[in-house]
Amino acid sequence: MTLASIQVPGKRPYPPRVSQFTRTFWDALAERRLVTTRCRACSRATFPPKPFCPHCWSDEIKWGPLSPRGTVYSSTVMHAVPAHFQHEAPYRVGIVDLDDGIRIATRLVGIDQGFAVGARAQIVVLSYDDGPLFAAKIGTDPNFR
Amino acid sequence: MSVQVTLVGAAAVPCGRIQSARDAPLQVLEHEILAGCVIEALREAGLTKESVGALIFAHPRPYTEQRYFGTFMANYLRLKADGLLMEVLGNGMTGGLVFDQAAQVVASGRADVALALGVNFESAIASPEHMVLTMRATGDLDFHVPFGFTPISWYAMDAVRYMHEFGVTRRQIAAVAVKSRMHAALNPLAQFRKPITVDEVLAQRPIVEPLGLYEVPPRSDGAACLVLAREEVAKALGRPYLALKGRGFHHEGAHQISEVPNDMIALGAAERAGRAAYAEAGIEAANVDVAELYAPCTIIEILVAEALRLVPRGRGAAAAESGETALGGRIPVNTSGGLLSRGHPPYVTPLYSFVELAEQLRQRAGARQVKDAAIGITSCELGNYNAALVHVMEARA
Repeated sequence: MTLASIQVPGKRPYPPRVSQFTRTFWDALAERRLVTTRCRACSRATFPPKPFCPHCWSDEIKWGPLSPRGTVYSSTVMHAVPAHFQHEAPYRVGIVDLDDGIRIATRLVGIDQGFAVGARAQIVVLSYDDGPLFAAKIGTDPNFR
Repeated sequence: MSVQVTLVGAAAVPCGRIQSARDAPLQVLEHEILAGCVIEALREAGLTKESVGALIFAHPRPYTEQRYFGTFMANYLRLKADGLLMEVLGNGMTGGLVFDQAAQVVASGRADVALALGVNFESAIASPEHMVLTMRATGDLDFHVPFGFTPISWYAMDAVRYMHEFGVTRRQIAAVAVKSRMHAALNPLAQFRKPITVDEVLAQRPIVEPLGLYEVPPRSDGAACLVLAREEVAKALGRPYLALKGRGFHHEGAHQISEVPNDMIALGAAERAGRAAYAEAGIEAANVDVAELYAPCTIIEILVAEALRLVPRGRGAAAAESGETALGGRIPVNTSGGLLSRGHPPYVTPLYSFVELAEQLRQRAGARQVKDAAIGITSCELGNYNAALVHVMEARA
């Protein structure tokens, strides 16, 4: 599934480091795909992606798609923020339980009021000038509040 | 035969803005402030510097220019040690680990007397700059930090989730700040002592919604020194002391967030550490007379009090609102004023918890004395309480 992309002018405030291993994730994100690693032995997915399975410590892992849809567990609006992020404040961050059973924490977009607990959300790409980040965009679901 | 560890002395400076601006012509220096605490704590304990066998320091903040701070302090005070000298670092848990390590040195028999001490200066560093440091602790540097989290953003999300699950109001959560300030008004070590109302708390500018200025930790400096000793030493001093009766620790194997969805606001690590500490002490939560909990935000005091079973699940905010956790209530929590009002110099904050218990359990807390307080607990944490360390202290005369 191809992720929607939102253009964000400027550079990422605190860009992630990319390793030989994690570049698979960031390259896929730049192509608007959300991927992670899954264990061949116990079949559990993990996030962030890892070169081994954190659950059973098998190193037999494979890359595959991660569900970009999920439900908001909690969120906040941040007004007091680190120096790197001053120009983006206030901004929203949240915790999202993806349908694949993985809990992530990321930016929340597409919401102006409330905290959207229980709302459905979908991962989108934030395309900055220097590379991608991702965010969860709130859908206009009946659960929206 | 095991050694009974005791706490026989404690001293601290009032929390507040002590650190000098970088360009100030006259500087307040960390070691000068801490040396005063050491001398006062040993004098208060009735012990000489020759009796000290171990020095366990909180590692200072990176803003402290003096490096090898612990060994420098040993030189400054001319303190020798046969047992151990080391600096401990464990984020918000640092002060708790300092106490824990000092207790272990005494318990092992390697020292009869051990100092647990530290100084934390950071308040002259502007918050946006300071957060550049602290944000790097808030999860995976590449997969969480780029979104702009800060330590308290996680607590804010705890608050949102708690309100959602238990139908609790903002007003009820804000009651913790009012209660903390009421306690702090009676504590000479507290940074903020002017009483506040719930309406004032709710009217503050938002910091991490729904939490406003009075519901998140202040910027604080502080210094404290505790004197631990084996019980034979304490008994010979012939004055009241505290016995370490129980200790519990748990790390849930997660840092800030578990990728496997869990009940984030149950604070499972605190629950397990508390259970272990109570079991070792042979007590139950109902036996606790006073609790000094590491709670950087209003919501966290509520959640920790629940996890440690001082109040029922989902009832922590109501307990604060009704006065159940206030002085004079069923189970007074953070009689010092807590992190919100006593102050929060993070690496030594847990040492201040023991300072308060030393006052309460020796019946010297004055106007904020919990009547006949005999059993007190402390807690401290890492991340979003992903790890917790709990100690149970008992009054001995």
